[in-house]
Amino acid sequence: MAASSSAGRVLTLCKQFQNVLRISSAINTPHCAANFTKYQPHVYRGKSPLAALSWSTPTSYLGQCRALHTTISRRGLEEFFDLPENWGETSVKSGAPWTAKQLRTKSNEDLHKLWYVLLKEKNMLLTLEQEAKRQRVQMPSPERLRKVERSIIRLETVVTERETALRLLQTGQEKGRPGDWRKNTFGYVYWYRFKEYAIPWYMNKRYKRKKFYTPKFVEPHIRLRLEKHIREKARKASLKKKTLAKLMEKFPQMKVSAP
Amino acid sequence: MLFTSPLRYPLYQLGNPQLRIFRPNWFLTLVRPGKEQPPDTAQFRIPMEMTKCDVKNYLEKIYNVPVGAVRTRIQFGSNKKRNHLSQKVKQPDYKVAYVQLAQGQTFTFPDIFPEKDRTAAEGSVEEMQEKFLEDEKQKQKPDPRRGGVTEWFGL
Repeated sequence: MAASSSAGRVLTLCKQFQNVLRISSAINTPHCAANFTKYQPHVYRGKSPLAALSWSTPTSYLGQCRALHTTISRRGLEEFFDLPENWGETSVKSGAPWTAKQLRTKSNEDLHKLWYVLLKEKNMLLTLEQEAKRQRVQMPSPERLRKVERSIIRLETVVTERETALRLLQTGQEKGRPGDWRKNTFGYVYWYRFKEYAIPWYMNKRYKRKKFYTPKFVEPHIRLRLEKHIREKARKASLKKKTLAKLMEKFPQMKVSAP
Repeated sequence: MLFTSPLRYPLYQLGNPQLRIFRPNWFLTLVRPGKEQPPDTAQFRIPMEMTKCDVKNYLEKIYNVPVGAVRTRIQFGSNKKRNHLSQKVKQPDYKVAYVQLAQGQTFTFPDIFPEKDRTAAEGSVEEMQEKFLEDEKQKQKPDPRRGGVTEWFGL
């Protein structure tokens, strides 16, 4: 089923093993992301306790014809834990997180698979963290968690970039969720995002109670708020000027940086 | 919100297609059970937004684990402790899922922190540090020639 966690770990965090993904993109794996298999060059994890079904990919699929032997490793709940060699270590080596630049070079299928690899890695690290807290022992290399989180965030940004680009090309819409500029009761204009309802707005009692206009009695308060804001800005500017004047008095040769 | 996954899923009405979630943003934590659980049960901490069906599909599709039954509960995080400013500090609430595995599979939470003999590599900094610490400890010990008699007594 899923990749051996060793390769997964290596894939997620080490730049050098990116070329493995190039092989996987050539494999015509079926739709479900859960069913992907990966070729592990030299970090193959040998026999697993659960019965491993092995099947070789039919060479008809591969353009860059190389007979790959892929194994669906069904290790199930073991994937929530690290490799047994790493149990009890004080530090575990890990590579750099994925950068957005590297992720943009990958295809959508690769990113989809990488998402699940990162997801599993994060699950493993979370279980390790919790167990370390339980046993009152230091978690080995907690920076791995931060690295994986960063990689996931960057992957998400890359995917949303691609989605917005596609949407702009196909429909011309900038935002996926429709919205509108509306004024609320306090006089602020904000971007109101629409919500899906089963009934039209004029039948929605709760929606009708929400006011998208400012009542007459609120307007003097808006003016007062504006005055307060202007006074604060003026105060800050004058403070800056005064401090600068004081410094120039003390250090006349001081160079002033341009604002 | 950091992730742009829809805060609102599409509304479901009869005849709509099945909702499919790509790239789920949910992370499970496998925990050691506090109370004794039956041998086929695994205990997870799951995000509050997940349901029993979500947990079942998650484990079956992503981890290929045959799931029988899932039971969930929400654990209240205590609001009793106070910090140095006497303010109440809230521990976060979390959802716990008890997953019973199908097909007669059993699961025991393994010992992830076994005691390992750590002998530092030859010629490394750690080895020198260990040697230095050992020497210091040796200096602190009383003179063995005195036969356990303390220095308090003269001679």
